[in-house]
Amino acid sequence: MAKPDSLGQFEQLVLAAILALKEGAYGVSIHAKVQELAGPKDVSLGAVYVTLDRLEDKGLVASWLSDPTPERGGRSKRCYKIEALGERALEESAVAAKRMWDAVSQVWGKEWVKQWGRQWGKETR
Amino acid sequence: MGKRDPLKRTAPSRAAEAILAILLPPACREEVLGDLHERYVAPAQYACEALRTAPWVILSRIRRTADPQVLLMHAFALYVAFAGAARAADRGFLGGEGGLLHLAVPVVAVLLGIVLEDAYAKPGRRAALMLSRGPAVGIAFALFVQTCFRFSWPVAAIPFRIFLDGSGMSLLLCSAIRLLFPPVANQVQGAAVPAFWLKQTGGTIGYRAILVLQSIAALVAIALTATWLSGASGVSLPRVLSILTLSGLFLLIGYQVSKRV
Repeated sequence: MAKPDSLGQFEQLVLAAILALKEGAYGVSIHAKVQELAGPKDVSLGAVYVTLDRLEDKGLVASWLSDPTPERGGRSKRCYKIEALGERALEESAVAAKRMWDAVSQVWGKEWVKQWGRQWGKETR
Repeated sequence: MGKRDPLKRTAPSRAAEAILAILLPPACREEVLGDLHERYVAPAQYACEALRTAPWVILSRIRRTADPQVLLMHAFALYVAFAGAARAADRGFLGGEGGLLHLAVPVVAVLLGIVLEDAYAKPGRRAALMLSRGPAVGIAFALFVQTCFRFSWPVAAIPFRIFLDGSGMSLLLCSAIRLLFPPVANQVQGAAVPAFWLKQTGGTIGYRAILVLQSIAALVAIALTATWLSGASGVSLPRVLSILTLSGLFLLIGYQVSKRV
């Protein structure tokens, strides 16, 4: 099986959003989910489109056009689904993030982790 | 959630959508217009969001349809065409101050035309003759740029005769390149066949055929450059040819070594 490319931070967010949305992943819903995952940072719709195109070119996601709907002015949605290669790439990123988190918490202590968790919770609420 | 005001518009105006539809490449027009329609709240919000989204969509489409290797071939062919036309029409122009630099202006304009035409082409296979539309659009754009220069900055404009001859030659060379290396938008694509992979496989032509064509193109390029350099500098043709071939060989060896390191 081909080895997936390493993902950038924004690519990880978009892939995670597609994975979480399952069948309902398309431009607007992916943007909303990425916005939610990125926290207080503002995410533009254009940046999501660019990243989706790049992920499709890398073979990490696949896309197709759905049937037109009236709430979209009679236009189709471009739906996305994560490919096996994309799932592997996301898994690798998650494992790397977990390792990084363990290393950081080991050095800075459990008290810092608790404090950071409380602060993070406030910011994202 | 509160009820919607019946007097308030719940969809963007047709004019706004029509303008945006012109700006967006056809390959991604449907979904982007639909997404923006769905997110519509107010005219100002729609305009702001459209202005923030459209440039990214266009750039992304350009990235997907433009192949740097083929663009480089186009650039070389265009420069050779305009330099050849300049040499034939007015030798003094090439030797003059900034002569070679001024030739780059139509080259860049034609390249820009080709890139935009590919990005805005409807996806799917096009007739062979339609492949000449890219260079033709580019030449029209270059003519516009030259006309602007002629009125605003005459020193930077190239003589019309050189432009005309160079454009004719460019049209032929670029159309030939596009026939051999069809644009990505011209190749069959499906959900499971991303554009990037099509680029990797070289589209409809096999790897060996590309290698042979690249070698022929390199030989022709060396011959043309050598002839031009020998004419411009007065050094004998065999000497220039040997210098160029040796430099090319060294560059190739250096590139291969750097790839392995």
